[in-house]
Amino acid sequence: MNLRAVERVLPGSPNAALALVAEARETSVRALNELRDLIRGICPPVLADRGLGHAVQALVLDTPMPTTLDIDLPGRLSAPVESACYFAVAEALANAVKHSGARHAAIRIHHKAGVLRIQVADDGAGGADPAQGTGLLGVERRLGTFDGILAVSSPPGGPTIIAMEVPCELLSPKTSSY
Amino acid sequence: MRVVVAEDLFLLRDGLTRLLAAHQFEIAAAVDSAPGLLCALLEHRPDVAVVDVRLPPAFADDGLQAALAARREVPGLPVLLLSQYVEQLYARELLADQAGAVGYLLKDRVFSDEAFVDAIKTVAGGGTVMDPEVVTKLLGRRSRDEPINRLSGREREVLELMAEGRSNTAIAQRLYITEKAVSKHTTSIFTKLGLAADQDDNRRVLAVLAYLNS
Repeated sequence: MNLRAVERVLPGSPNAALALVAEARETSVRALNELRDLIRGICPPVLADRGLGHAVQALVLDTPMPTTLDIDLPGRLSAPVESACYFAVAEALANAVKHSGARHAAIRIHHKAGVLRIQVADDGAGGADPAQGTGLLGVERRLGTFDGILAVSSPPGGPTIIAMEVPCELLSPKTSSY
Repeated sequence: MRVVVAEDLFLLRDGLTRLLAAHQFEIAAAVDSAPGLLCALLEHRPDVAVVDVRLPPAFADDGLQAALAARREVPGLPVLLLSQYVEQLYARELLADQAGAVGYLLKDRVFSDEAFVDAIKTVAGGGTVMDPEVVTKLLGRRSRDEPINRLSGREREVLELMAEGRSNTAIAQRLYITEKAVSKHTTSIFTKLGLAADQDDNRRVLAVLAYLNS
């Protein structure tokens, strides 16, 4: 829109055109930033690049709560499973940050004998109820499409432990060409 | 100054080499893949490398991996990475060896050529240049009760610019204050964060980033 206006005013008033171009540039920078955020929300780059383990590590770096990680995942999983599990962890961790009043969280991801086990725990107030619309129901449905299950233990007073299990095979052992 | 460029898209690679040539850089090699980059870095040992994170063969973070591999062979080999997005995880891996001479910028910044060329020169000189996005994120994840929240608004601005790798002179220009005022702020920042003050720009950036990364 701005650029079309530039075409119109350029012959007559170059200064007005310059201002419009500057505005158009700002708009495109903003659009690029929004696009980047959108992509991160749909398919985080680290998840695509390196898989679930590193993506969760990157997620924790962006989270303002001290979180310990225990990850044993010697390979990649299929893309849909990686994505579902990543967003499951993200949802559980976001709940811990937003609702639990916790000071510390712990994430454990292990793959053994064809089953991926994920645990997200926090030392907060507990009382998390999947039925109360915390987003965990959506997570459970999404994991369900891979025959995965989700269990929540969150007694009043805490701690909260969200446990997930998804049967899946590793696609390839972790290799690095360098 | 001899530079190796790694970018898989022909037009961008061509654009980068032209831009660099116009600023009196000598192009030692321009490659289009991660294995090509590793070979070129080890063969030419350039003064600096400008590297796209996403490169063939896997089109994942191959460029980063090749750059890190080269730095394991040639410690402190100056590398400036360009990417469509910035990831703290990748910034952390670049900074991990504490050798400095690394940069990590959004590709958008290339189009402001003065700043981009300055960034390349800083990295070549052993300095560290982090994209403002990286710095914002590093600051954003601090929890409320940390010392960093005792900084004044102005000190925070100075800290952000320091973490991007800017010198006192550049910070003074940017904030329209004197260099003396900048060094007063930096001294205060270092005291509040409990870091040992350091007059050397490069070591100072590393200290700040190490603090933010911890």
